[in-house]
Amino acid sequence: MNNITLNKNLKPASEVEPVLKVRDLNVAFNIPRGQAKILEGVNFDLFPKEILALVGETGSGKSVTARSLLNLIPGRSGETKGQVLFAENDLLLMSDKELQRIRGNRISMVFQNPQSSINPVFTLGEQIFRLIRLYLSAAVEDLKQKTHCSQKQAIETIAKEKLNEVGLTDIKRTLKLYANEISGGMAQRYRIAMALISSPEILIADEATSALDVTVQAHILKLMKDLCKNKQTAILFITHDLGIAAQICDRVAVMYAGRIVEIAETKKIFANPLHPYTKGLLKAVPKLGKNEPLSFVPGIIPDLVNPPVGCRFHRRCDHIMNICRKQKPESLKFEDNHNVSCFLYKQNHKENRHE
Amino acid sequence: MFHVFYTNKITKKTDMNNPLIKLEQVNTWFPNNKSILGKPKFWIKAVSDVNLNIIEGECLGLVGESGCGKSTLGRTILRLAPLYSGRIEFMGEDIGQLDGKVLKPYRARMQMVFQDPKASLNPKMTIFKVLSEALHLNSSVAKENYLEQAVKLLDLVDLRPEHIFRYPHEFSGGQQQRICIARALATNPKFIVFDEATSALDVSVQAQVISLMKNLQKKLNLTYLFISHDLSIIEHVCSRVAVMYAGQIIEVQDAGSLFDTPRHPYTKALKNAVPIADPESRKELGILKGEVPKLSDPPSGCHFHPRCDYKKDICSKKNPIVYKIDENSWVRCHFQEELWQQGVLINSKESL
Ligand SMILES: Nc1ncnc2c1ncn2[C@@H]1O[C@H](COP(=O)(O)OP(=O)(O)OP(=O)(O)O)[C@@H](O)[C@H]1O
Ligand SMILES: Nc1ncnc2c1ncn2[C@@H]1O[C@H](COP(=O)(O)OP(=O)(O)OP(=O)(O)O)[C@@H](O)[C@H]1O
Ligand code: SF4
Ligand code: SF4
Ligand SMILES: [Mg+2]
Ligand SMILES: [Mg+2]
Repeated sequence: MNNITLNKNLKPASEVEPVLKVRDLNVAFNIPRGQAKILEGVNFDLFPKEILALVGETGSGKSVTARSLLNLIPGRSGETKGQVLFAENDLLLMSDKELQRIRGNRISMVFQNPQSSINPVFTLGEQIFRLIRLYLSAAVEDLKQKTHCSQKQAIETIAKEKLNEVGLTDIKRTLKLYANEISGGMAQRYRIAMALISSPEILIADEATSALDVTVQAHILKLMKDLCKNKQTAILFITHDLGIAAQICDRVAVMYAGRIVEIAETKKIFANPLHPYTKGLLKAVPKLGKNEPLSFVPGIIPDLVNPPVGCRFHRRCDHIMNICRKQKPESLKFEDNHNVSCFLYKQNHKENRHE
Repeated sequence: MFHVFYTNKITKKTDMNNPLIKLEQVNTWFPNNKSILGKPKFWIKAVSDVNLNIIEGECLGLVGESGCGKSTLGRTILRLAPLYSGRIEFMGEDIGQLDGKVLKPYRARMQMVFQDPKASLNPKMTIFKVLSEALHLNSSVAKENYLEQAVKLLDLVDLRPEHIFRYPHEFSGGQQQRICIARALATNPKFIVFDEATSALDVSVQAQVISLMKNLQKKLNLTYLFISHDLSIIEHVCSRVAVMYAGQIIEVQDAGSLFDTPRHPYTKALKNAVPIADPESRKELGILKGEVPKLSDPPSGCHFHPRCDYKKDICSKKNPIVYKIDENSWVRCHFQEELWQQGVLINSKESL
């Protein structure tokens, strides 16, 4: 279909075109000790209507991935290489002005730390009114005609509707508050409502529901699923909660130390995790009603100023072979819709085995 | 090896009758100052009429809806939020009315660890600086011993001495949370509130931090209040769990039994909304009908009644009293006895 061959392996069964293609994404940060190679060769596709979970160790680069998709890594602190293709354009080559038209409009984001991503000097009302004026002017006009109300009233009505959708109540009061006066959960619901106002083609949700209790979370997850179905929105859902991945995501990508080590259909990855890190991660999930001791992957994430040569997981891996210390494992197709980057699954892997 | 520092180790057994913290009719209300006259138009009742004992050496879980007042309750105990009325006893002392200098020594004995370690560590300070600042509040450590003490603290949280002059951004999320825990330990606390302290970590790193927390609890005889949205982690970490709804504690039970045999309809709703990590058993997550209550004007009677499947007339009229189930557990629901007899809150297979 085009000169990009890699995505053959990453595609779900349907033949739809991805809305977003990430190719060989590399991000390095300059820190006092040197250059930290945070992302290395990240490839994936995001398809319309799909929810793709991105899971992985704390600090593995999930949020950096999210930010670099919108070219939000400032040039002076880091270096971003590769391609992020959205509607035939490479977002990494766009000017700030062009990006402004996409960010928060065609691609929306909800970040970790909801409180700090709300402007502290404006009330919640002022901020949402501005967005409604920007993106929903047609709906505002419509409402004005229908109900003969003022512009201000129309905007307020729509704001209330949008905030109601995410389960916020007492909205009249809420609109007058500032970011520091609301709970984490309220802040997050507010951010989600804001992100959806423009009916984006892509929603990047970075730990968007971690600050919410399970009942409110259930509500938001349903909202997001409906969004996918009804508005074709594709969602990149970054989460630590493998329960969410299992329940609502179509595919799961597992990130370790800046690389996607496994990507597969949700059912496949849970039933048959291949990469040793994925296996360890799934074992660490605490299960309600089963008071087994929690297991974990021993060791910590490697220093990325001097990343391990070869497989970045090799120092923590029980299955290490000679080749793992020398060569970077490329992504290979294990079966349809299930790719893994690990030498254990290379056909001739037995020859490489050390012991 | 901690004997220099942790001189007053207490080896008392868990004692129900002798709680470390005792809350009586505690109310934390925030004034809404939007009126011109300076008099609050109304109050946001973030914590209302809370009676709760936290027993020495236990890990008490606290769950509940976003915005229901969990963090505020934690902050109230630490006297970081304005107490409107009620009594807070800490180590037998009424600290609710203390202020300034008199309060300071008690404050040092109570610490809090937050969700976002990155945000709660100053990026411009080395770990040594971070820990020194905290050690400053501990009068039993002399300034010339800060370095030695800081190294000991790092050792307690399984970090290495060579980490001490590094900056926070050089650490992984799990390590940063360890640093926050070390900072909390610097003042030699008896009681620590963990406010969503592991929710920013992946499950594997979370398991590491939890196992560290548990070891420290035993080693240093600490008492924890563990606030979390993750019911399965609560079940793993805590001995007892308190469930909060709209500013009130509505149920307290042993962690082992709470989610198997919830006594309050809200607890059951919580359990039904947990996403299970198994794609083969996908289900509609239980969505609570109705709206999140306003804390400025909570529903009359039982705060949960507008959303409760089992409500009857009395529920909107009268706030239920506390029904004791056994020594450790109680519930606040008019019909707890009937619901229990009928077994409607005990989930059958379909919900899990
Ligand atoms: N501006 C920056 N300068 C230097 N290093 C950075 C910067 N931003 C991120 N990093 C580093 O990049 C790595 C990946 O961070 P990132 O926030 O993407 O992890 P994550 O997978 O989102 O983790 P978590 O699950 O904890 O949110 C971390 O080691 C972090 O310290
Ligand atoms: N300083 C404050 N001034 C005014 N209102 C406040 C203040 N702090 C908290 N509140 C209000 O008190 C209520 C309870 O907030 P709190 O942060 O305790 O909730 P929470 O249960 O911890 O929620 P979450 O799970 O989202 O963290 C909220 O309605 C919040 O708006
Ligand atoms: S490539 Fe080698 S070191 Fe890496 S996960 Fe596979 S077996 Fe382990
Ligand atoms: S008191 Fe009534 S409304 Fe409240 S939980 Fe019990 S049955 Fe439901
Ligand atoms: Mg992140
Ligand atoms: Mg809170």
